[in-house]
Amino acid sequence: MMEFAWIIPLFPLLSFLLLIVYGKKWGSAAPYIGMLLTFASFIVSLLVLVARFENPTYKAEATWLTIGDATLTAGFEVNQLNALMLVIVSLVSFLVHMYSKGYMQGDERISVFYSYLGLFTFAMLGLVLSPNLLQTYIFWELVGVGSFLLIGFYFYKEEAKAAAKKAFIMTRIGDVALFIGMILLFWQVGSFEYDEIFASVSAGTISSEMITLTAILIFIGAVGKSGQFPLHSWLPDAMEGPTPVSALIHAATMVAAGVYLVATMFPVFAASEAALMTVAIVGAFTAIFAASIGLVQKDIKRVLAYSTVSQLGFMMLALGSAGYVAGVFHLTTHAFFKALLFLAAGSVIHAVHTQDIEKMGGLWKKLRLTGPLFLIGTLAISGVPLLSGFFSKDEILVATWVHGHTILFLLAIIAAFMTAFYMFRLFFLVFGGEARGDTNHVKESPNVMTVPMWVLAFLAIFAGYINTPWFGSFLGDWLTDGNAALGHGHIEGPIWIMGLATAVSLLGIALAWLIYSRKSLSRDWLSSRAPYAYQLVNKKYYIDEFYHFTVVKAASILSRVARLFEVIIVEGLIKLITAFITGLSKLGSRMQDGQVQTYGTVAFLGLAVLVIVLALTGGYL
Amino acid sequence: MSTVPISAYLTLALVLFCIGLYGALTKRNTVIVLISIELMLNAGNINLVAFSKFGMMPSIDGQVFALFAIAVAAAEVAVGLAILIAIYRNRKTVNVDEFDALKH
Amino acid sequence: MTFPYLLTLIVFSPLLGILVLAFTPKTKESAIKLIGVLATIPALILTLYLYIAFQLGAKLSDFAEKVSWMQFANPEVFNSVYSVNYELRADGFSILMLVLTALLSTLAAIASIHIKKEWKGYFILFLLLQIGMFGVFAAGNLILFFIFFEITLIPTFFLIGKWGYAEKEKAALSFLIYNGIGSAILLIVIMFLFAKIGTTNIEALMSILSNKAILSESTKMTLLIALIIAFGVKLPIFPLHSWMVRVHVEAPPSIVMLHAGILLKIGAYGLIKFGIGFFPEQFQSLATWIAILGVINLLYGAFLALIQTDFKKVLAYSSISHMGIVLIGLGAINSAGVQGAIFQVVSHGLLAALLFWLVSIFYQRYETTKLAELGGMARAMPVTAGFLLVGALGSLGLPGMSGFIAEFMSFLGLFKSMPILAAVGCLGIILTAVYLLRAVLSITFGEGKTTNKVKDMETIEKIPAVILVCLIVAIGVYPDLIASGLTNTIETIVIGLGG
Repeated sequence: MMEFAWIIPLFPLLSFLLLIVYGKKWGSAAPYIGMLLTFASFIVSLLVLVARFENPTYKAEATWLTIGDATLTAGFEVNQLNALMLVIVSLVSFLVHMYSKGYMQGDERISVFYSYLGLFTFAMLGLVLSPNLLQTYIFWELVGVGSFLLIGFYFYKEEAKAAAKKAFIMTRIGDVALFIGMILLFWQVGSFEYDEIFASVSAGTISSEMITLTAILIFIGAVGKSGQFPLHSWLPDAMEGPTPVSALIHAATMVAAGVYLVATMFPVFAASEAALMTVAIVGAFTAIFAASIGLVQKDIKRVLAYSTVSQLGFMMLALGSAGYVAGVFHLTTHAFFKALLFLAAGSVIHAVHTQDIEKMGGLWKKLRLTGPLFLIGTLAISGVPLLSGFFSKDEILVATWVHGHTILFLLAIIAAFMTAFYMFRLFFLVFGGEARGDTNHVKESPNVMTVPMWVLAFLAIFAGYINTPWFGSFLGDWLTDGNAALGHGHIEGPIWIMGLATAVSLLGIALAWLIYSRKSLSRDWLSSRAPYAYQLVNKKYYIDEFYHFTVVKAASILSRVARLFEVIIVEGLIKLITAFITGLSKLGSRMQDGQVQTYGTVAFLGLAVLVIVLALTGGYL
Repeated sequence: MSTVPISAYLTLALVLFCIGLYGALTKRNTVIVLISIELMLNAGNINLVAFSKFGMMPSIDGQVFALFAIAVAAAEVAVGLAILIAIYRNRKTVNVDEFDALKH
Repeated sequence: MTFPYLLTLIVFSPLLGILVLAFTPKTKESAIKLIGVLATIPALILTLYLYIAFQLGAKLSDFAEKVSWMQFANPEVFNSVYSVNYELRADGFSILMLVLTALLSTLAAIASIHIKKEWKGYFILFLLLQIGMFGVFAAGNLILFFIFFEITLIPTFFLIGKWGYAEKEKAALSFLIYNGIGSAILLIVIMFLFAKIGTTNIEALMSILSNKAILSESTKMTLLIALIIAFGVKLPIFPLHSWMVRVHVEAPPSIVMLHAGILLKIGAYGLIKFGIGFFPEQFQSLATWIAILGVINLLYGAFLALIQTDFKKVLAYSSISHMGIVLIGLGAINSAGVQGAIFQVVSHGLLAALLFWLVSIFYQRYETTKLAELGGMARAMPVTAGFLLVGALGSLGLPGMSGFIAEFMSFLGLFKSMPILAAVGCLGIILTAVYLLRAVLSITFGEGKTTNKVKDMETIEKIPAVILVCLIVAIGVYPDLIASGLTNTIETIVIGLGG
């Protein structure tokens, strides 16, 4: 089965091509084409995953490009991580395809939407299958384009336009770092193949400074894609896209690509303590940083976006603490519960036509299906015991503690507390209490939207049981099987960590309940006591403003300098030369005044000059 | 009998030529310009005659050429004055700086 | 496999069209346009035949032609003559350029449907220009190269000056002056080599000049710098670029397609073939400077493109920026870099043609290219907007399209020889994305600003766009498509460089 894995990305590609060409003609049939082809992808992915359980890693490649002596290849590889990612991506993609049928109903550009979804799914599956860094980079950029197109789907909105541009450019900054890191590695190793890179790293043929440098450059690429600090600010803005897109791209799959890349390149990172430390610090900082912003956001999708940034920070923290399994595990569970949350949020938005949580409230009674689904997702992400997020977050905390990052561990605990708090704040404000907006026309979403959510809810509850301290770490053992560089399948940690994690998440929930449901604590209690701190957080730490006044300003100033240079030096020099030549010819034409006497003078002077020259040089020039 | 040296002839010719040139280039009246040109020609004639006596190979040739030059100059003045009169009839002026038809 | 005089046929095949056009009444617009397009077809078929024959393994020497043309005495050596031959030849690179020329000529001829006056004169000049371009790439000696080079200048001058936009005369004049100076310098170099060595045959010169004794080191260096200036005007290299911006803005788009697609590439072709080919060692010692110039071109063009308010100017500065990649590749002086430079030549040719064709399409409808006056085109003309986005994405080096391959290989090369400079140059990759997205999104996205009722692309207008996009994607997805034909050329160059 695995030798046919290359066919998986081709289904969505076909969907993209068909819909972009014939989409307009087919109209409302477009969603079915997309769903059918993605479903085919999912089935094949599932078969490949099953086949991977029994067989070793499969790899095939062919010559793609010859440069001098070097031959670059293209191909595909099915290893444990790939096989797992294939299933996650194709499943979430299929569910989102299905959900969009209801969500995008009536949009005249629905076929375009589906074709973009197809393009993105193709790129994401291709990214996952890549056996070498170059191919990864190629698909890496393509997923960026898919994301860009979908963020800008409502192209007529200025915000969407700005968000799409911002997303593309900010991730591009990371991509360039990845590009540089990739090329530097190539000249060290002589190949883009992961296997050969890892072989060189373990053989010690690359200097440790070089490993650190390339690892950090590659990590910057991941920072851009996964919305880590300081390149995070595009991700909340990306919520301008349709909500199913946010679920697919900006929660479950693409933003996880950065984590996936670090996981794939893990042996390189593992070879450099400094690189691992960077990953861990950036991850932990992002986790708490984004969580604190999430505390005060008023837009349902933005809260979820900051929570995504924060959760991705958790994953990076896990990887940076040598917790390979913990990172991948959290990636998996997060894909499910975050996709669920976004789809449920989409269902809410679909019903009330606003994204402002201040205008919602009391929806629990109105949305009898969406409410419980959203609650499941909220419980999972908050780390309430027995749901998937609990197990994976616990793994991360254990990995951090065992690796000896005490400060980062504390940060993670605080971030986990905040996560529980802001998620339940969101839940209580949206579903609890009295309605603050017009809810008369609120209707539950159609089945085509709720069914995908049920599937995800099921996974959000039970996906955690593939890797638990109680029933065995099946996932971990399988992932690290046959590859010592990835660390152990399961890291033993003190039991109190699990208790602590449970305690902080329950504490967070309780606090949210007190403030937003019981209202025994005033909502303004904190913000009125520390207005500056509140303002700082509310303005997202002024990061966008900071960029605007530094990077953007610098670029525009440089542009202006370049224009001045162009106008003054380049054009000026030319003007000078032309002025000189025109001046010379003006002088010449002044001689040509028709006066015989002037002509005579000039002729005589010319003769005189010639005679003098002749006299001085003695006849020969 | 001490002869006048050649340098004296040449200096005379040079002075004459320069006066002619000055006149030809600066005078406004075309008649005077023509006269100045005559001066220059005659400066040339003096040279021809002088070299026919004091040259490397003295011979009568120089004097013959001088006669030719005088004849040609006479013809030239005749033609020149005729043109000048024609112009004067058209333009009612003999000032050379008002004649700039060459520019066009 | 091959038949005699194939190259001659290719070069002079547009003459047939000129002949037919000469007998066509000048008022018959559609007939003239049809003839104009059809006249470019034979060359397209022949070059494709040439390309396929070459790919299937035909010997390059079979294509070479040589006829004695003129001779005159050599005063320095008794009993010997200077002979100038009519000789054509082709190698992998020039075959590629011939195909590109034929293809873009056909597409530009189709794009000429937007020309509004004096079609007869336009197409005659157009076909003449095509002869010049073919000749440049097929010429076997420098004299012939120079003659054809000049033949490209004169029709272009008139095409810009007569059929361009508002300030067309000024643009045409500055085109002629700059390129005139460039070709004067080129002529000096050619004549110097001819006088000193006695031949202008390109292959012969390459082998003779590799002999160290033949010219002094400093002479060679001077000649190389002269060549770089001559072709640098054409490419254009900063700071010799200002004519090119004017031409891009004022010339009719169909001519800009050819201009940006082929004529600028003559500069790159000349630099690679003659600059590196004749003086590899000197080029190597200048490599750092070439690479620095490349990075300056890349960044300078990008920064200026960032603040332009006219889409055509954005594209013009983007061309300057993209030509920086060619210099970066050449400055890397290794096989990856040189291959990247050649790829960029081809890729930018296709992308520039695509983008200017789209400019022509929407200028036709909106009668403006000012960014501030456009907007929301995705609603009124979704297909055009889509193509524009594809063109921009290709241009900013999106993987899967030809621009990425070129950029990737050039930087791959430069990172090997000068990593720090390459890292600085990478800033250009980000800037490219910034200015292209800024320009294209403000045209296509947002609310519509014009109230003109416009129709989307017609079928005939789609043909060039679709063909170009297919080629761009084909090269991007499977670059070996053209890389395989270039192996020999690049090997020759790299061996010359001693690598």
